[in-house]
Amino acid sequence: MTNGRRMVRLTIDGTSLEVPEGTLLVEAAKSIGVHIPVYCYHPKMDPAGLCRICLVEIEKMPKLQIACNTQVAEGMVVHTASSRVAEGRRGVLEFLLLNHPLDCPICDKGGECDLQDFTLTYGPGASRLTEPKLHKPKAVDLGPTIVLDEERCILCRRCTRFDNEITHERRLIVVERGHRSLIGTADGKPYTSYFSGNTTEICPVGALTSKAYRFRSRPWDLSHADSVCTQCSVGCNYRIDSRFGRIMRTYTRENPAVDDGWICDRGRYTFNYLYEPSRLRQPLIAVDGELKAATFDEAIALTAEKLGRAAQARRVGIIGGGRLSDEEAFALQLLARDVLGSDNIDYRASAQKYASPPRYEARLADIDDASLILIFGAVTPEQAPIADLRIRRAVARRHARLLFVGPFVPPAFVPSRHVPYAPGEIAPLMRALADVVHHGREEQGEGFVAEIAQALAQAEKIIAIHNGRDPQAVEALDALLDRLAQYDHPVGVLVVGAAGNARGAEAAGCVPNLGPGYAPLGRTGMTTARMLDAAARGEIDALFIAGANPALTFPDGALVRRALERVEFLAVSEQVMTETAAYADVVFAAASFAEKSGHVTNLEGRQQPFHQAVEPPVQVATDAQILAALAHALGKPWVISAEPAVLFSQLEKMQRPARTRSSRDPLPRPCVDDPVPVPDPASWPDGLTVIPIPHLYAGGGAAAHDPGLAPMRPQPFAVFHPQDAQQRGVADGTRVRLRGPGGEIEVQARTGDHVPPGSVLVLADMPEAPVNKLTNASGYGVACVDAATVTASQELSA
Amino acid sequence: MAPFEPVLTRGLGRLDLTDLSVYEAQGGFGALRKALRDMTPEAVVNEVSASNLRGRGGAGFPTGRKWSFLPNDGRPRYLVCNCDEAEPGTFKDHMLLEQTPFQIIEGLVISAYAIRAERAFMYIRGEFLEGYRIFRRALETARERGYVGPRIAGSDFSLDIVVHRGAGAYICGEETAMLESIEGKRGEPRLKPPFPANAGLYGMPTVVNNVETLCCVPHIVERGAQWFSSIGPPKCPGPKIISVSGHVRKPGNYEVPMGIPAGQLIEEYAGGLEPGRRLKAIQPGGGSSAAIFEEDLDTGLDFDSLAAKGTMLGSGGFVVMDDRTCLVRAALTLVRFFEHESCGQCTPCREGGQWVARMVGRLEAGEGSNADLAILRTLNRTLTGTNLCPLGDSIMPFLSSVLRRFPEEFETHVTQAGCPLAAEQAVAAGAGA
Amino acid sequence: MSPERRRKAEELAARYPRRQSALIPFLQYCQEQDGFVTRQAIRDGAEMCGLTEAEVESIASFYTLLFRQSVGKHLIQVCRTLSCMLRGAGELQEHIRRRLGVRNGETTPDGLFTYEEVECLAACDRAPCLQHNLMFHYNVTPDEFDRLLETWRASRPAVSLPAE
Ligand SMILES: Cc1cc2nc3c(=O)[nH]c(=O)nc-3n(C[C@H](O)[C@H](O)[C@H](O)COP(=O)(O)O)c2cc1C
Ligand code: SF4
Ligand code: FES
Repeated sequence: MTNGRRMVRLTIDGTSLEVPEGTLLVEAAKSIGVHIPVYCYHPKMDPAGLCRICLVEIEKMPKLQIACNTQVAEGMVVHTASSRVAEGRRGVLEFLLLNHPLDCPICDKGGECDLQDFTLTYGPGASRLTEPKLHKPKAVDLGPTIVLDEERCILCRRCTRFDNEITHERRLIVVERGHRSLIGTADGKPYTSYFSGNTTEICPVGALTSKAYRFRSRPWDLSHADSVCTQCSVGCNYRIDSRFGRIMRTYTRENPAVDDGWICDRGRYTFNYLYEPSRLRQPLIAVDGELKAATFDEAIALTAEKLGRAAQARRVGIIGGGRLSDEEAFALQLLARDVLGSDNIDYRASAQKYASPPRYEARLADIDDASLILIFGAVTPEQAPIADLRIRRAVARRHARLLFVGPFVPPAFVPSRHVPYAPGEIAPLMRALADVVHHGREEQGEGFVAEIAQALAQAEKIIAIHNGRDPQAVEALDALLDRLAQYDHPVGVLVVGAAGNARGAEAAGCVPNLGPGYAPLGRTGMTTARMLDAAARGEIDALFIAGANPALTFPDGALVRRALERVEFLAVSEQVMTETAAYADVVFAAASFAEKSGHVTNLEGRQQPFHQAVEPPVQVATDAQILAALAHALGKPWVISAEPAVLFSQLEKMQRPARTRSSRDPLPRPCVDDPVPVPDPASWPDGLTVIPIPHLYAGGGAAAHDPGLAPMRPQPFAVFHPQDAQQRGVADGTRVRLRGPGGEIEVQARTGDHVPPGSVLVLADMPEAPVNKLTNASGYGVACVDAATVTASQELSA
Repeated sequence: MAPFEPVLTRGLGRLDLTDLSVYEAQGGFGALRKALRDMTPEAVVNEVSASNLRGRGGAGFPTGRKWSFLPNDGRPRYLVCNCDEAEPGTFKDHMLLEQTPFQIIEGLVISAYAIRAERAFMYIRGEFLEGYRIFRRALETARERGYVGPRIAGSDFSLDIVVHRGAGAYICGEETAMLESIEGKRGEPRLKPPFPANAGLYGMPTVVNNVETLCCVPHIVERGAQWFSSIGPPKCPGPKIISVSGHVRKPGNYEVPMGIPAGQLIEEYAGGLEPGRRLKAIQPGGGSSAAIFEEDLDTGLDFDSLAAKGTMLGSGGFVVMDDRTCLVRAALTLVRFFEHESCGQCTPCREGGQWVARMVGRLEAGEGSNADLAILRTLNRTLTGTNLCPLGDSIMPFLSSVLRRFPEEFETHVTQAGCPLAAEQAVAAGAGA
Repeated sequence: MSPERRRKAEELAARYPRRQSALIPFLQYCQEQDGFVTRQAIRDGAEMCGLTEAEVESIASFYTLLFRQSVGKHLIQVCRTLSCMLRGAGELQEHIRRRLGVRNGETTPDGLFTYEEVECLAACDRAPCLQHNLMFHYNVTPDEFDRLLETWRASRPAVSLPAE
């Protein structure tokens, strides 16, 4: 027995083997290196038995059987290479090739196509394939990312099953029947799944190809580098395929514990910005208010001088780390603490306050067997898409309950329960829950408390997911989990990071009160808010911002703008011109993740290595190189190495205690600012509470500049409750101006029942319409519709 | 031996059996009362098992055995009556539906009782609108009289029958496709295992039985397994309705003892061939069956005897073709049928079926080649037995059998670029009606 | 969904242990009203069963008696399979095509007649046979067809695809 499963002994092609009962023949064969061809079978999906290429001969069974849906049985004798099997496979291939266009020379899949490969190995001679081909639609535009060639399609249905069994979105379908069957969508609507790119990988032929990669390269011309996606905090493992030093595509590199073999389209397609004119290719220095090209040395010299001078006066601040590698985040805090002698360092450039749960750390895989998933703040389909697939599977396949607590109903593709709670009221709810759970009075409690408390009490395993924005709610959650853990409920927490490496930066010491490895310093520098405030008041002279764009992402936008305008010197390290870099005196052109090596730490605390795929442009440096050069110029070259390996060995030592601590010991927490109340909508004429909402394709950095993402990128929009919209004369699709105490933005209006009356959901992180003009430090804001600006718009909402 | 008396079709054509009182006057619903009053469900299953009743839907699976597969695990169970009849040449269920609906209801209720089904479903082919209306009316009447619904005939047994209309798809006659269709999905056969006995309708233990099979059940209950198994060959006994069509003088449904020789059916029941005509081929068991010929006329019409001849009794659709028939054209109508009705899930059926239809289409149009013939001769090896469900396995048998028996007819279509019988066929058209 | 449709949807759903089972009867009902399965019907069906529109479209497209385009007031479906073919279906079909001036699957320009050749209708002993608005006509000779055509022309059936 292994894992409690009985073992079964069988023979495959003369080799005797033992596998757990229930194992499919195709997997059993794989385990001893016997290859059985498959098209429709995919290990992540239920067997479908459609393509019939996996035929094998089983003794005592009159007909050939399919290996993909046959479970092993004691004493089974299987032949995978007999002449009957060969004939069966040849037959299936012959059928598949009948109407296949055989256009391998111009097909993107050429070289990694299972039809091509199996035809060579098992296929018929060409002799009988003289049948005139039936024609089907070619180059069908399936949506912003995918092109479908129906003639190449072998109807294995991996794509529709993926869309059904894996994403649960159920928009990709087979229409018609028999040989007229086609893959499609309802009424030809675009296929807009965030996971569409995966279908191009699982398609065993060249029927589904990605627009981004079409006709770009041939598989055998590609060099591969194992990397990790840093577009969000899940940290999916992928491979970067390049040709002549240019990235051609990215490809999954399955890590069952993290991504389960999938990546989302944001991760997959965000790389072409590197080749756009807007990519920063050399450092810039402001001359008379205008940024001009400069040499690296000039930029370093100027920045070192300004930072050094400000440091002497204890008037320096450093923001960033969440978009750097672990090594570079470590180096960034070295610059602050060991070079400049300041604890004014903070990675938190958005509303996120915490990236690591102090206790009850969960792994992504813990979602798989959770019986209750409680989410507040985080919008996982937008912010952690691949983690959301696990949530969908747990709910759809394992009957986990999914509870959202928060002001609006987030998108969900599986059954879920939304518990409406106003912004700012989550903490009291968590406290109330802790109280009733503690006293075993689950059925009591006000409003939804009883409902949630009962769900919690019944759950066998609970995973809480949040966005680390509300320290009080997080504190209260911890108390609640303590109570639940007392009753032997396994509990765990995942914090979805606003920046891809938020957790890595936190663990590397990019917070004012903690050093690397969460080591308490016993002293506290300034948080981002305090640095900005000080800068705005003229109390900080120089700011260095690395891989962060607070001008767009920090909730109190007015404060950022005042600070960046006022501060005497601002240096920014970036890959593209951002809203923040626009204020800079020096802009360093930084290398992207594809252009360097190192580690990143994902939301579950997993530190993963990534490897350089391509060289950066000549005048582009990695952040480690920039930081090392600054240390050098400031007279302390020994403090910061430009070598990731050196930095990593230093960091690793310092992180060891936190990693090996007992799970009972809470991690020290980053210091936070005093809470700021959510603005009262009554404080503003006709005011609505502004609730920023995330979107997978929003953002002001790479996403704003990548032509590959452009077709998917949303227009800035705001969603009103239909009642509020009607009262204000706002119709779906019109353009409206939202005005608040801090400023105004123009957006496209939409309406939806999922918006609470009296609130408006506004797309966050859009440079064209920064919602932080409306919000304060609480992360929420107040605004009214500027009646004069309501205009009919041509572009209706998608 | 006593002359065979019709059982399932008794009174049909003479009496209006859609009238409940007429049906009752004939002894209708007596078996139902008997079963509910005097027999346990197990006793009914045992009786049906002992009768050796084999499914009339095509596969000939022993009905009692099928019923006894249901696991005893407390889950709800369902019974589905298969009235999707669309097998080419078969029209017996259509007749039973329109002319003796109460017999079906009685069979359904007794069988549901036997397997302790919670609910029964009557799946009626979408094209049978009239039959659907007749059955709905009959069901209402039966419900009013307490034969369906709560506490049937004063017993503790309750049963609701849901009538479900198809929407145009032969494949929904295949039992797992039927379950998908009742669940409101595309009528695509399921991958087996699991089998319906374990995970059928809504994932629950389910039995699917043909209309005629269920119609046999009241008679077995009433007259006993022994009586039933004494009709015809003991291993597949009972009365059997054969649908006879094509080139006979009296096409129609004929109820005969299982095992009756093919020749006898033609001569004694169907009025023989038209004068001066000679038999060319018979398709004995629906469009899926291989042909038999002159030399096979003494073959008994039952599951085992026909299987021994390399064909099958199937659904009992018996199509007679005389010497006017162009077998290429006959084969074409059938392969085109399967091409049209393939669900398209699996490769051989979807692609192979379409290929065969194109090749036979070419031959029929006089545009075929010897290469086409050579390919057709081999395709039964890769197209039969490799599919997900039996539909794909049904494409080749008839074509292969006539191609083997009358190769010259196919070859002439190539050499003469058309049908040698065309002229005579035109004459035959007039005689068609 | 219109209130009347909703009522019908609920009535149909109540017949079954699970709602989705009522989808096809519901689409048949919509088709009887609209003459074919409209986009709205697809949407309504999706709403009724908690499916996506795509799923309903996929399901509807599987069945030949669910039409995604409007058909004539008179839907004439002639059997083309073996038994009917043996007894003159081919000649009947040719006759009808000529009479109506349409090919298989087409509707006459006046929108009155839709002609389809269909598979075995299980009436092989009375071949050739056809269905007119799902009502059977047996032993149809070309002359008989002409007679039927006259009576159809004179009548204006309310529905070509009755649901119940
Ligand atoms: C393609 C196909 C079509 C079928 N059509 C029918 C049918 O119309 N009526 C029927 O009773 N069985 C049909 N069957 C057989 C059913 O799958 C099933 O075996 C039968 O309903 C079981 O009932 P029985 O055991 O009473 O025969 C069909 C099978 C296949 C593979
Ligand atoms: S054999 Fe034909 S009908 Fe059966 S599952 Fe395969 S494609 Fe569908
Ligand atoms: S891989 Fe087994 S049938 Fe497709």
